[in-house]
Amino acid sequence: MKEFEWIQATTLADAVIALASAPDANDIDEAARPLAGGQDLLTTMKEYVTRPSRVVNLKSIPGLDRIEEDNNGGLRIGCLVTLSQLEEHSVARRKFPGLIEAAHSIATQQIRNLGTVGGNLCQRPRCWYFRLEEVSCLKKGGSECFAATGENKYHAILGGGPCHIVHPSDLAPMLLALGASVSVDGASGKRIIPLDLFFTLPASGNIRRENVLENAEVITHIQVPISKFAHRSTYLKFKERDSLDFAMASVAGAIALGIEKEVTEARLVLGGVAPIPWRVPKAESFLIGKRITKEILATAAKIALEEAQPLAKNAYKISLTQTLVRRALAKVSGLSG
Amino acid sequence: MPQQPQTSPAIPGKKTVRVPRVVNGLETMVEVEVDDVTGPGWGRNDQHTLLNHRLARVDGPVKVSGVAQYTHDVRLLNMLYGRLLRCPHAHARLTKFDSAAAARLDGVKAVIQAPMSEFRFSGSPVAAVAATTPELAEDAARAIVVEYEVLPHVVSAREAVKSDAPGVLTRNPKKPEENNLRAKDKRGDAAKVAAALATAAAVVEAEYLTPRIHHACLETHGMVVDYSGGDSATIYATTQGTFTIPADAADELGLPQSAVTATVQHMGGGFGSKFGIGVEGMLACRLAKEAKAPVKLMLTRHDEFVMTGNRSGSWQKIKAGVKEDGTLVALHATQYRLGGVGQGSQAAQPYSVYRAVDSYREVYALHTNEDSSIAMRAPGHPQASFAMESLLDELAHAIGMDPIALRKKNMPDEVYHRQLNRGAREIGWEKRNAVPSLGFGPLRRGMGCAAGIWGGGGNNQCKVEVTVSRDGSVLVAVGTQDLGTGTRTFTRAIVAEELGLQIRDVVEQIGSSKLGSANPSGGSTTAASLAPSLKDAAVKARLALAKTIAPLLGNSAPEEIVFSRGKLMAAGKAISWKQGCSALPAAGLTAHGEWREDLQGHGVHGVCFAEVEVDVETGKVRPIKMVQVQDGGLPLNRLTMESQINGGMIQSLGMAFWEGRVMDDRLGIQLNPGFGDYKLPGALEMPELVPIIDDEDKREVVIGIAEACIIPATGALANAVFNACGVRIRELPITPDKVLMGLLA
Amino acid sequence: MPYENDSEKDQAHPKHALNRRKFLSRVAVAGAGAALADHLSGLESVAASPIIDDFEKPIKGRITIALDVNDQKRPLTVEPRTTLLNALRNHLEPAVTGPKLVCDVGTCGACTVLMDGKPVYSCLILAVDATTKKLTSVEGLGIPERLNSVQQAFIDHDALMCGFCTPGFVTTISAYLKKNAKPTMDEIREACKGNFCRCGTYPRVFEAALAVARLPAVR
Repeated sequence: MKEFEWIQATTLADAVIALASAPDANDIDEAARPLAGGQDLLTTMKEYVTRPSRVVNLKSIPGLDRIEEDNNGGLRIGCLVTLSQLEEHSVARRKFPGLIEAAHSIATQQIRNLGTVGGNLCQRPRCWYFRLEEVSCLKKGGSECFAATGENKYHAILGGGPCHIVHPSDLAPMLLALGASVSVDGASGKRIIPLDLFFTLPASGNIRRENVLENAEVITHIQVPISKFAHRSTYLKFKERDSLDFAMASVAGAIALGIEKEVTEARLVLGGVAPIPWRVPKAESFLIGKRITKEILATAAKIALEEAQPLAKNAYKISLTQTLVRRALAKVSGLSG
Repeated sequence: MPQQPQTSPAIPGKKTVRVPRVVNGLETMVEVEVDDVTGPGWGRNDQHTLLNHRLARVDGPVKVSGVAQYTHDVRLLNMLYGRLLRCPHAHARLTKFDSAAAARLDGVKAVIQAPMSEFRFSGSPVAAVAATTPELAEDAARAIVVEYEVLPHVVSAREAVKSDAPGVLTRNPKKPEENNLRAKDKRGDAAKVAAALATAAAVVEAEYLTPRIHHACLETHGMVVDYSGGDSATIYATTQGTFTIPADAADELGLPQSAVTATVQHMGGGFGSKFGIGVEGMLACRLAKEAKAPVKLMLTRHDEFVMTGNRSGSWQKIKAGVKEDGTLVALHATQYRLGGVGQGSQAAQPYSVYRAVDSYREVYALHTNEDSSIAMRAPGHPQASFAMESLLDELAHAIGMDPIALRKKNMPDEVYHRQLNRGAREIGWEKRNAVPSLGFGPLRRGMGCAAGIWGGGGNNQCKVEVTVSRDGSVLVAVGTQDLGTGTRTFTRAIVAEELGLQIRDVVEQIGSSKLGSANPSGGSTTAASLAPSLKDAAVKARLALAKTIAPLLGNSAPEEIVFSRGKLMAAGKAISWKQGCSALPAAGLTAHGEWREDLQGHGVHGVCFAEVEVDVETGKVRPIKMVQVQDGGLPLNRLTMESQINGGMIQSLGMAFWEGRVMDDRLGIQLNPGFGDYKLPGALEMPELVPIIDDEDKREVVIGIAEACIIPATGALANAVFNACGVRIRELPITPDKVLMGLLA
Repeated sequence: MPYENDSEKDQAHPKHALNRRKFLSRVAVAGAGAALADHLSGLESVAASPIIDDFEKPIKGRITIALDVNDQKRPLTVEPRTTLLNALRNHLEPAVTGPKLVCDVGTCGACTVLMDGKPVYSCLILAVDATTKKLTSVEGLGIPERLNSVQQAFIDHDALMCGFCTPGFVTTISAYLKKNAKPTMDEIREACKGNFCRCGTYPRVFEAALAVARLPAVR
């Protein structure tokens, strides 16, 4: 790990100033970084992928480690709430089962005991080219994505190019499905960003980043609104190794059912298959007004993946993700099998 | 020395015996000279008081409480921390090396350049530094300025095999036509095999591939060199061979070998990879010599993955046929050993559990720009077993025969038949669907089986000293090492049982090159080499003590005095152990044990059965149950032997489903040099595991079994996957993407 | 992007002017390096003397901290980048070497310690970030002469071989059984999934944990 300057912020404002006033970085990955749980940041620092001259500890700021209910029955989750805390939160367990499943699916209890909700959304990709210091890839300011023609079994089948990472967060697809937004505080003030505008594709956003945050911006809270579909939500994560792994593919699904058991609202977001949590509105709208049957599931799954463009070694993800879509929808609709 | 009548009797003579030695997976018989003293043997396996029982390991308390000191835990006064700089290119020549900036950094005490300038694999060490903290050492290694001329490389076997591929090694002037493919072995009559195959009822021709597997020792390689100048040094090494350290370390330090002591009290895994000081040890010695201070150089996990060797990969093209009754008629194999810049290892086909009437094989080393493979637990065997067992299963399927029946047809050794029956009973083979992929719903169950073979004999290197003191305390000393196999525990148990004592009454001293010599722990030779010497020393100690106390027990002959339950008994009289020992002279008694061929044996048989469940909509394989039946002569400790069998099954499980080095062809680097992407099986991957010691084996000899345990499970699991879902995966690991694509094809 | 309509905004961000000035003075005084000070003074004028405010001092280079390890306050000198694991093993004197350095990136569990009673990977927390926490390593759970029930069960069931992963497993399971005294096999496996073993001790680790759960409750 490269030497850095350590600052314990005690207010958000301090943290933002400390980040904004850091010396100019030669490279975006050398800019000052905020530290929450550190479960991802410290790994990228050890790998010299991130080399901040200054690290600003957010954990010393009081009040950001709470889950509160808003007036409408939604949740306001402080960025420092740990994944374990979220998992064990009784209101969240009752109202947002999919969110609990997503939190529980992450890594191991050791990581969930320190890892935070804010950090989970901001973690860097797991692409092995990106993570190896000796590889200068597009995402690190190089001129080429080595995964495009290299070992791309774990890479994107949707939204990829010119960089082919997949977003590693498990919370992100579920929060996106639930219509969550993040509150952000930064050098130019506060803003609220709906999650579907938060993550950025390599082709259209800053290829060196995975979201819209500026260097001196931090997520302070995550708002999860209550909705008709929140209690019928689920997160299915497929891991190559169950004990500890990122998703080979995952699906966050949520539906609301009408009196005739017809779908009145649907949310379907794919994880582990695209550089961002990948919402599939076409499949969502296909479901509206329909009663869930095996045939409907199969069609929805097909639609959800119809734009997929696999690389040489990840065509399996299409079929795998279709299975997860069917199973997630079957689960939330109460259809067995 | 004053005369000590209690020491071992004079050696009447020597005799020559033939013993097996396993070198790189190949067993050869060698002649060794042993003392012509034959005392009583082990006796019946079911009549021991300690051996063949379930003994808690004696180093348990220090290991479970974090007190056990591993090399990684050694911290000496003024000790410096070493760190390596590695070459990031698969093939490069060093064109610039400037360590001035690094040497100037705060806390940096030494910078050493590795003694070569052309690097043939990414990960080659280029330089080493020593500094006062690990953090500063890391900074210093990175402050070294290096430039390379990057040269052409090849890391993919399929590319390397081409005649115009970049050359990995310099060409052999005697065989200039050979590029990366170098002939190693050719035997049999290909034409005869082809003719025989033409008569077969069914023929299968297939290619089987196994990737590089990493030892993944949790304690990385490295050592602490306690040398600050002066005329002696101590080396703390994480090693499988205490005595493989001093000579090379002395050489590096410029000291006589006798001035260097190697010590290893506990070590965090070796699996075949930890012999000698290694390049990291060389550099550690040089750093200490230059800095005139103790240096600890433990590799980082990334270092460990890319420069300490691995189980060689294999690429095996096999064609074989069977008669209608399942008898193999012939086998033709072309085998490539994928050992990087090294030779690779591979047990030749047909795998020696089975007989083939006619066989022909060509074996090659296929070189790539990767670090050299080295021995790993049963070198060559899991690769050969996986291919052979898969092939046999394919043949059984082709002729519609039960896989067990087909195996028995081709197993000349009846021991396997008995073990297959036992394993089949335990797994519930009768519930197995003969037709693959039967069932409803996405989850399909399947079963498979396979067999393994290993030598496991000992050799004549262990010199044991047993000292009985006048207060009754007993010390057994030998320089051997305990890799976690339980060596400390059986060392105590053999002596305690012979003297009629309990485990707690004996203290062992091991892990130092200043103690009696011992063989390195390779090829499962430790138990079969050490146990006879322990027994010999204990017998001699018993007889010497018996002789001393004979007057107290009616002048009975020493051999007639019974040592049991802390008592010494004869002629209707009994005295306590302590009373007896109090009759010894002040120096107590010391007995020296030598290896006895008759107390050890070789030849280990094992079979594994596996049941898996495949989710045919995702390709996920869930191991359900694994049963392994393993013989091994006299089990010294049933508890640790079962643990060994479990361990073999689990490592084999890892090889089947998750493990394998992934290289990027263009960059020539390993993409998964860490435990996030190189996936070891964890708690949720574990099936129900049933380790069975084959007690039908009545041989009253000690045989090592560690290697044997890792061999058969991979093949059994692969066969179970086929039986569950009808997809035959011939390239390990069997991951969901391959299974799912197979199902979709 | 929509901006949050929040009254806090103006309080917290009057263009950051006041806070920034206060902050900069602290940074400069803390001696964060000439280059940094030059850079900062180009942005804002730096006050000549330190201003006491609510900012913590920026820390760079070696500093002395104290860690609360196994019920002892232990002083030690580290850098901000020193991980807790590294601090325990290489900077504390005498060292705490029960937690092992194996992967150093939170993928193996050998470095597991308890932080305020909860298992965490000590390789993934900075020592300077752990000074207010109560830390327990395997050494704090039991000593060879007085093992805790999990440690004893590990020996009885041979739940260890080389022993390098063992401190981590013992720590994880000891903490888990406090949370859930009567776990099922599946719960034990789930609790252990962040600890990896190469020798292959898992089945006996599970046995040992279940055996402890079957023991009559202590007191």
